[in-house]
Amino acid sequence: MLQDMQNGKKAAGRAGALDYWLILATAGVLFAVSVICVYGMFYYKLALVEQLPPAEKAAYLNTMNGVIAPFIIGLILLLGICVPKRLLPASWLYRFAAALTVSAGVLSWRLDITAALTAVLAASLILQLVVLAMAVAGSRRLHFEKSGYWVRVGSSLIHLGLILFVLDLLLYRHLVLHLFLFWVTTGASVLGMVFCFYASAVAGIFRRRENTQP
Amino acid sequence: MMEHLVPLTRFGDIGNGIIWILAFFAVLVGLSGIVNLFRPIRALQRPTGYLLVLLAVVFLAGFAWIGWFHHQIYVRLPLALPANLAQFLNSHLQMMNQGADFGLPLYDAAAPPRYVLPLWLENEKYYFWFMCYALLALPAHFRMQHPRLRAALHILLAVQVGILFGAANPFADPLPNFFGAVEPWFTGNLSPAQRFGLFMQLYPKMIFYYNAEYMWFHPPLLFLSYACITVTFVTSVFMLVRREQEVEKMGYDHARLGFFLLTLGMLLGYPWALKAWRPNWWWDPKICSSIMMWAIYSTYLHTRLYAHKPFMWYFSSFLGILCFLAMIFTFISSFFFPGEHTFV
Repeated sequence: MLQDMQNGKKAAGRAGALDYWLILATAGVLFAVSVICVYGMFYYKLALVEQLPPAEKAAYLNTMNGVIAPFIIGLILLLGICVPKRLLPASWLYRFAAALTVSAGVLSWRLDITAALTAVLAASLILQLVVLAMAVAGSRRLHFEKSGYWVRVGSSLIHLGLILFVLDLLLYRHLVLHLFLFWVTTGASVLGMVFCFYASAVAGIFRRRENTQP
Repeated sequence: MMEHLVPLTRFGDIGNGIIWILAFFAVLVGLSGIVNLFRPIRALQRPTGYLLVLLAVVFLAGFAWIGWFHHQIYVRLPLALPANLAQFLNSHLQMMNQGADFGLPLYDAAAPPRYVLPLWLENEKYYFWFMCYALLALPAHFRMQHPRLRAALHILLAVQVGILFGAANPFADPLPNFFGAVEPWFTGNLSPAQRFGLFMQLYPKMIFYYNAEYMWFHPPLLFLSYACITVTFVTSVFMLVRREQEVEKMGYDHARLGFFLLTLGMLLGYPWALKAWRPNWWWDPKICSSIMMWAIYSTYLHTRLYAHKPFMWYFSSFLGILCFLAMIFTFISSFFFPGEHTFV
């Protein structure tokens, strides 16, 4: 029994450390994206991109898309790894991360990078829906940094909104579907933030309702 | 020239009076802030609280006055066309709208289009932004029994009112860009062809910018979030000096509200951008810097989960300060970097 407890503690410690490093890695990628954004702004100003002919302006946009693409891919892969961390123990998570990265690499080699990213996002979306369903059901098997029913539901909704938003960007040519998904994204993110940031107030509202029901 | 159509002088006179009263109170609040920052005096705390309440009330009165002025514009400045031009215009609009995802509404002679101007245009946006800060600084003042933190909040408020008074007074020269654009319509002696041409310049901007429903959500949510970021900035500076849980808690309370408003505000800008600019606005400087600010803010909230670790405490406070600097950079970027947001 003591051995089990020690193993459990070790596993929780490993998961916590992984969570910490994932956050630092995400911060690093976001920092790189920020630096590129600032570079893009100054270049836009100094190279007078605004006044360029449409073809040259489009070429600038393509170049910048090319520069930022690896970081966006990195961010999507990190998202793909972050989602199952709620479901899987740390040891499995490493295997999952490796499998996901290899699959994305193979898909982009055999098909193209968009297909690979769509696959990663689709897998993340399915897993995140499972996480959300389990969080709503109050499952104790999910691994969260913070405890509390509404915090977990809120966090799951925010991450669902984020995945949907990125997935939706790939569908920008289909305006109606694009806008519909956008509003779903917005709804999920807003609800998620309310549940996550104001968990105790939300819990209080639901408790009062239960108490007032006959 | 527009004076005979809109009560510009009356608006300016009363509005300037409001700005002078604000400046007077702000000087007192600022002086009290400077004194308290260096050597806290308990006796100054209560009167400064009353001053803050007065400042907030005067701010709200000025805001209501801006609302009155915009109502006058709505009532007195319709874009009315002669009947023969209206018919021609509608056939032209019908042709333009064919196959367009977002068309322009047809002209209705019985109800000509009117300007429903939001209350945060041109210099008014500073007024709204700083008013939001004043309204947030008020509960923050009463919540924290921390003279130096209060002093920092007061000094920042005084600085903001100073900017309003000296460089961004919305009452001194009301809406110069708006009136500059519409003045020829109301005061010029235009031929039918010129009138039609001018209408086709004014009408799309009225529909997609001035009267856009998103205008009532996207900018005010962002300005509210800017006010929250300013409070978080003050707490972050204090967190660098000393580890006080109460200060961190107040910073986090404002940060989560600010993040919520910022995210919602940015999201609500997206369908508006699609409608007004099509997917042609990626790499617009303002959007780049906004994404950067959101990324820093998001990182700040994530690192805060580990604020109990000494390194993360300081890293988190550093990010709170960086977020404020990114906000200033984002705001200023509209003026220095050309792009779709340049005119905002």
